[in-house]
Amino acid sequence: MIGSARLWLGIALVAACWTGASAASDAPAPAAPSLRVVSMNPSLTRMLIALDAQQLLVGVDEYSGDHESAVAALPRVGGLFNPSLEAVVALEPDLVVVVPSVQQRDFRSRLRELGVEVLELASITFEQLLASMQTLGDRIGRSEAARERVEAIRSTWREVAREASLQPRRSAVLIVQRDPLYVVGGESYLNAMLDAAGLDNVAAEYPEPYPRVSLEWLIAAGPQVIIDSSADPVNAVEHWARWESIPAVAENRVVAVPQGLVTLPGPYLDRSLLTMVDAIRNADRTSDTGGGARLQ
Amino acid sequence: MKILTPMRALWSLSVLGAVLLGALTLGLTAGPSGLGLGEILSVLADRDASGPAADIVLRVRLPRVLLGALVGACLAVSGVLFQAMLRNPLADPYVLGVSGGAALGGILVLSLGSAIGLGYAAVPPAAFAGCLITTAVLYAIAGANARVSTTSLLLTGVVFNAFASAAIVFLASMAGLTEGASIFLWLIGSLSSIRTEVTGWVAIFLVLGLGATFPLARGLNLSALGGESAEQLGVDIDRQRRVVLIASSLMVGAAVSVAGMIGFVGLIIPHLLRLILGPDHRLLIPASAFGGAAFLVICDAVARTILDGRELPVGAITALAGGPLFLWLLRRYHQRVFS
Repeated sequence: MIGSARLWLGIALVAACWTGASAASDAPAPAAPSLRVVSMNPSLTRMLIALDAQQLLVGVDEYSGDHESAVAALPRVGGLFNPSLEAVVALEPDLVVVVPSVQQRDFRSRLRELGVEVLELASITFEQLLASMQTLGDRIGRSEAARERVEAIRSTWREVAREASLQPRRSAVLIVQRDPLYVVGGESYLNAMLDAAGLDNVAAEYPEPYPRVSLEWLIAAGPQVIIDSSADPVNAVEHWARWESIPAVAENRVVAVPQGLVTLPGPYLDRSLLTMVDAIRNADRTSDTGGGARLQ
Repeated sequence: MKILTPMRALWSLSVLGAVLLGALTLGLTAGPSGLGLGEILSVLADRDASGPAADIVLRVRLPRVLLGALVGACLAVSGVLFQAMLRNPLADPYVLGVSGGAALGGILVLSLGSAIGLGYAAVPPAAFAGCLITTAVLYAIAGANARVSTTSLLLTGVVFNAFASAAIVFLASMAGLTEGASIFLWLIGSLSSIRTEVTGWVAIFLVLGLGATFPLARGLNLSALGGESAEQLGVDIDRQRRVVLIASSLMVGAAVSVAGMIGFVGLIIPHLLRLILGPDHRLLIPASAFGGAAFLVICDAVARTILDGRELPVGAITALAGGPLFLWLLRRYHQRVFS
C-alpha cells in the first residue's frame, strides 16, 4: 500500500502546476440540505468532515475512502490519475469538489459539459487553503463553521509567530523526500508555517512549492534546523549524521516528523503548526545531549 | 578503412585519456555552491579536511564524478559489444531487455518499498537482481539450442522490454505522485542519489566486463564479415556471443542499478568513436570506456549546474546533447566519404 499521506503531498505537488486564482466556482448556488457532493481530493474530504458536512458526501476518491473512516463506506470514484467520469455521474451529484490539478483538467471539463457543478479549490499557499475552506463552507451552507476554523488557524498562527518573535530567527529546511531530494519551496503553505515558527526557509528563493534540489546546494545553504518529513524508513538523524558540516547536524537539530503529520494540507493547519513547533522545541531541548529529535 | 597500429592506438587512447581527465576536473570544479579552484585544491590536498567545502568536494562531487565515469564506461562498452554481436547499428545497451529487468526490480522497490520497510537504498540491489534474472533467462534461451541465434536474442529482448514496460506502467499508475516522480526520474536516469558503497561494485563489473570481452576484439572484427565467414576464419561465434551476452548484461545491470536508465550514452559514443577512429574493436572497446566516461561526467556537470541548485536528471542532458552531436558527426562523415 502506498505510504500514508504521500498522496496528500502529491496533491499539493500536482496543484503546483495550476496557474489560476485561489478558488473558483462555476456559479454560486444556494445551500441545500439535500446537496449531493462528491469529493475528488483527500484534503477537501477532510475539510468537509471538519465542517461537519460528511453527510452531504455521496462519493469520494480512493485515497479518502481508504484513509478517512468517516467516509470509508461511500462509493469510490477513482483517484488523481484515474478519475471515473461514469462513476461520478452515476451518483447524480449536485456538486463535485476538486483541486485544480492538470491531471484532472479534461475530467473537470467533461463534468461541466454534462451539467455538473464543479468547484475548484486550490491548496498550495496558506491563503489559498484558508480561502478554499471558506469558499467550500459558503457553498455547502457551513459558512460559520468554516469561518470559525479559519479564525482558529489564524489565531494559532498569530500566537506562534508572536512567541517565535521573542527568539532569534534560524535558517531551516523542510525535507519532503530524500531520494531524489525534494524540499519545501517559497510557494507552499509549509513555507508560511516555517516562517510563523521563526524559521527562515533556505529554499524560499525557489518559487515552486516543492523544488528538487541537490545535496550540494543543501550543504552549501547550511540550515540550522533540518525538519525531515520524508517517508524513508531510515531514521532521519542517522541519515543526516554523515553531513557534519551542516549546522543542523553539528548542533543536533535534525527533527524527524512522520510524513503527513505536518505536510498535510487540510483543515487543521493549526495542529500541524503546533506539532512542528513542539518537535523543534524537543530538538532544542535534546540538542545538548547529543541526539536529534524524533517525533512519534 | 583506417589501419590500426600500436602507435595510432596509443595516440588515440592518450587523447581520450586527456579528455577524460579534463571531464573529471570539470566534474570536480562545477557545482551550484560556487567553490573556488583554490578551495577545491586545498581540500583535495588535505586528507583530514572537514567543513562544507570538504563535504561538497570529497563526499558529494568526487563519488558522483567517479561513479558517473564508471557508469558511462559500462554503458558505452556494452553498446559497442551489443552492436558488434548483433551486427545491428541500432543496438544499444538496453536492446536485450536486461535494462527492462533491472528497471522492473528497481521500480518495484520504488513504488512498494516504503510499505514493506524498504528505503531508496534497497533500489540498486533490487534492480541488479532484476538484471541477473533477465540475464539468466536470456542465457537459457541463447543456450537452448546448439547455435546462439541473435534473432532469438533480439526478439526475446524486445518482448521482455515490452513486458517490463507494461509492468512499470501498471506500478506507476498505482503509485502516489511522489513515488511517480521517483519512478519518472529513475527511468530518465540520474546520478543524484549515488551511494559511495556501490562504486566499487560498478568498478568490478566494468573491469570484469572489459577483461572478458577485450580478448574477443579480433573475433568481433571478423564477425562483421558474417557468422559463417568468421567461423571459417577460426572464430567460435557461439562462445563469443555467450561471453558478450553475460559480460555486457552484467555491466548494463550494474550501471542501471545505480543510475537508472541513462539513455544515448551506449548508442552515441560507440558510433561517434567508430566514425572518428574506425571500426577496429581492439581500439573501439577501450576507447568507448574512456569516451563514455568523459561524456557522462560532462553531461552530469551540466545537469548539476544549469538550474542553479536544482537538479536535472542527467539522462535528459545526454539525450539533448547526444542527439544533435551525433547528427552533426554523421553529416560530416557523409560529406567526407562522398565528396
